[in-house]
Amino acid sequence: MSLTSPVKRAFRFAIDHYVALPVGVVAALLWVQVHAESYFRFSHASSFVVNDIGMALFLAVMTKEIVEALSAGGALHSWRRRSMAIVAGVGGMIGATLTYFAYLETGDELSVLGPGWPITCAIDLAFCYFVVKGIFGRHPAVSFALLLAIVTDILEFLIVALRYPVADIHVSGVVLMAAAILVAIALRKSRVRRAWPYIAFSGGLSWAALYWGGLHPAFALVPVVPFLPHASHDPGFLAEPPPEAHDPLNEFERTWKYPVHIVVFFFGLVNAGVLLQGYGTGSWAVLTAALAGRPLGILLAVAGGLAAGLHLPVRIGWRELVVVAFAASIGFAFSLLVATQAFGIGPVLIEVKIGALLSLCGAVVALALAVLLRVGKFAPHFVQGGARV
Amino acid sequence: MILHTVDEGGLKKRSVSHTRRSAAVLLAAVVSVGHLLAQSQRLPNAAASVKFAVIGDNGTGDRPQYEVGAQMARAHASFAFDTVIMLGDNMYGSQEPADFVKKFEQPYKALLESGVQFFATLGNHDNQLNRYYKPFSMGGERYYSFAKKNVRFFVLDSDSLDPKQMAWLEESLKSSTDEWKICYFHHPLYSDGGTHGSAVELRVVLEPLFLRYGVGVVFSGHEHFYERLTPQKGIYYFIEGAGGQLRRGDIVRSEFKAAGFDQDQSFMLVEITGADLFFQTISRVGQIVDSGSIRRGGPRL
Repeated sequence: MSLTSPVKRAFRFAIDHYVALPVGVVAALLWVQVHAESYFRFSHASSFVVNDIGMALFLAVMTKEIVEALSAGGALHSWRRRSMAIVAGVGGMIGATLTYFAYLETGDELSVLGPGWPITCAIDLAFCYFVVKGIFGRHPAVSFALLLAIVTDILEFLIVALRYPVADIHVSGVVLMAAAILVAIALRKSRVRRAWPYIAFSGGLSWAALYWGGLHPAFALVPVVPFLPHASHDPGFLAEPPPEAHDPLNEFERTWKYPVHIVVFFFGLVNAGVLLQGYGTGSWAVLTAALAGRPLGILLAVAGGLAAGLHLPVRIGWRELVVVAFAASIGFAFSLLVATQAFGIGPVLIEVKIGALLSLCGAVVALALAVLLRVGKFAPHFVQGGARV
Repeated sequence: MILHTVDEGGLKKRSVSHTRRSAAVLLAAVVSVGHLLAQSQRLPNAAASVKFAVIGDNGTGDRPQYEVGAQMARAHASFAFDTVIMLGDNMYGSQEPADFVKKFEQPYKALLESGVQFFATLGNHDNQLNRYYKPFSMGGERYYSFAKKNVRFFVLDSDSLDPKQMAWLEESLKSSTDEWKICYFHHPLYSDGGTHGSAVELRVVLEPLFLRYGVGVVFSGHEHFYERLTPQKGIYYFIEGAGGQLRRGDIVRSEFKAAGFDQDQSFMLVEITGADLFFQTISRVGQIVDSGSIRRGGPRL
């Protein structure tokens, strides 16, 4: 065996599981405790490049995964498979939001913290996926959790874009966005088979449109990516594209795969630095909404869906659902991103950021419940399923 | 706790370290007797000076708030300040119309009836809509500025320092030609509070503006005690968050602290005459727990 193979395997694991993000988070947490002033200086100086430009690439990669999953041949193509997960996703958002407000109603900080409710709605797509996949392996619960998270985050994108304009909204933004979409359509009609013209021209216009329009430019590539021609074959969520796939969507992923890891490392580093002393009502409100409100909302919504005649995917019962619901409570990076939009600099932002970071506890709870309820890999007679995700 | 007091002739400091809370209370009481006698001599009380009082974290509606209010009224009789700046958490708990009476109008009734004007900033416990409450003089704004003679006050919302507010602050500071520039907001940039501590992230964005545009004095609340910091990069920072609340014994020792009082509720009196700012911090029972003066543009005292 080659000496380099463990290193290669570790590198592969790090890439496949977006390890750069938690590494960035841990680095930020350590740095800020040791020398807060230098950390915050760095954080503010880097925030525009990382959050407004770099994160556009990360969100583009996430959008690419969503586009493939929803396309013909994708794991989430059929409406029949989607319906219950959509209901569950919406239920989770409502549950989280109501719990957030209910928690704040018990004190006197509702007025200050109330505008941050969308923070509680976000699900960290990648982390939720890795946790569920780790528990269930190949199982329909993975596609279900994935769609639940995707539906939630699509709605979340819309809420954040509209709820938190970063500047005064200018009509010129609408004109620029229309131009961006027209350019994307024109490129596609002209059968342009390279990704970069879409990203550079259409993406550039879209970024300018959002920036001038007062909306967050990190979402710039979200409306552009669906126009990139793509193969009908979906290799699976966050899976390596097959070598023979030369369509622009996969070419885009290949080009940006490694830079995106640098981006998420810096995203963690720039946004996650919070002084541990800074916890407060906002931290507990976000955490309670994520760990209690969202799972409860998901479970109640599914119960309602069943009563209305919808069906859960095969091999998913209440025990699997409970585990998925808690895995979906992880807001982490997505909640951090929303938090930076919801609040300006200050102690309130730090409070809710701590809540977003603590929502990682959802992974531990999901794992503990999987062991307790004996589902997925912890079932007495676990057999790897055949569902492709 | 370290209690620094200032003698009449200047800032001759006396530092007393205490390891036991009871000893600190006793000593503070003893020290206060002398100060009570000298109270009227502390501030110049000049006819044309700018005079104001400072309270923070006051809106509990409980007895200590009323007692501080009464003490302020007593001070007002001999030191006719026309302004009170409120450092946030002006109201705790329920904030219905009746609460405005119980937690603001009643405790400061005598001052309000004397025509004293209150200028508030919002804290994390304040309902954001309180900025429309007329007696808070905020004009419906989260952040604003107002002037008194040669002094301009810049009132910030430190709950959420968004880019718009930052741009407003920079523009307002830049265009101000006032002799004194004083900023106040809820969360302290420097603090020795064991519960909260310094708002370092706010400091990183605000302090460069304060330095660039000559802000001389900054008042904050949030910590439920009184603290005067040693000048930081030439700026004087005060914390007065014990106008109703109190977190006894919460001040921890550090090199930042010039004076501190965490044994009782308190408020501040400030007078600005020309290039000099005089201050006095008075406890709920009328002790002067700190006092001194600052000279603008000259060597700091």
